[in-house]
Amino acid sequence: MENLEIEGSHKNFFIPTVSFNARTGICQISGESFLEDTVEFYLPLIDWVDEYINTVKGPIALIIKLSYFNTSSSRSLLDILNLLRDYEEAGGEVVVNWHFDENDIDMEEDIDDYIIDTGLEINKIPL
Amino acid sequence: MDYSKQINIVDYHRNLDQNVPISYKGPIDEKILQAIGSHIESILSDHPKAGKKIFKIFIELAQNISYYSAEKSIYKDKKEIGSGMVLIGETEESYSFVTGNLVRNEDILSIIDKSEIINSLDREELREYKREQRKLPKGPKGGAHIGLIMVALTSDNPLDIEVTPIDDDHSFFSIAVKIDK
Repeated sequence: MENLEIEGSHKNFFIPTVSFNARTGICQISGESFLEDTVEFYLPLIDWVDEYINTVKGPIALIIKLSYFNTSSSRSLLDILNLLRDYEEAGGEVVVNWHFDENDIDMEEDIDDYIIDTGLEINKIPL
Repeated sequence: MDYSKQINIVDYHRNLDQNVPISYKGPIDEKILQAIGSHIESILSDHPKAGKKIFKIFIELAQNISYYSAEKSIYKDKKEIGSGMVLIGETEESYSFVTGNLVRNEDILSIIDKSEIINSLDREELREYKREQRKLPKGPKGGAHIGLIMVALTSDNPLDIEVTPIDDDHSFFSIAVKIDK
């Protein structure tokens, strides 16, 4: 299985940097997420995680370091987290580390809402 | 030479009666989003916390106008872009962020309903409402149905909604939020 690498940018839209490693299972999304077509951008990420879970079947660590994401990005992030939740319930090894600016109370609250939403144990890591 | 009177810029200027660091009227495409967005980031660097909030609110509301405004501009590549207004006002204690655009009358009730629900909820209830709505199947353009909820949560103040009938088919819909400094 191939790695998934997307170089982020901050031009007209904010494209996050994506680095999903099929050998280690470490998947990182960082930067900012505000896209022209959110569904089109996140679909390959969701497909990658789905394929990893079903073929590699190894441990997976999702590391989120997004300082900003808009609400449609937040919906696609929920899709990824739900996949991980299902994988964990089926016996997969899942770690989610979510890094955030400790002064950003809204962000911390949103992470808490993802924890309630998904039932996943998400490690909140303040910067 | 009185062609400048075709657009009454003096009235427009006079009507912006408080300190208004940013005002824009026109089609909202990605270049405008980017230009106003980075201007917000720089102008509000004195108040980073409020600045970040205004940026988040701006993106959600401006994107709504871009997608859903009933007033469209057609670009050279035949792409339709929604038009509307974006204003930021400033007082000593707070910023106000206002957007306005034309909405088809058949769509206005659902927006008012949603705004009234949002204003009736306390913060915990609002978060629960956000979680409920975000779980729903995605809307057009991958929307999460939570733009206005996020605006209310981010501003931490009620939404100030105003609807002015324009003609049989359209109303002018404006939404103002206050962000404490």
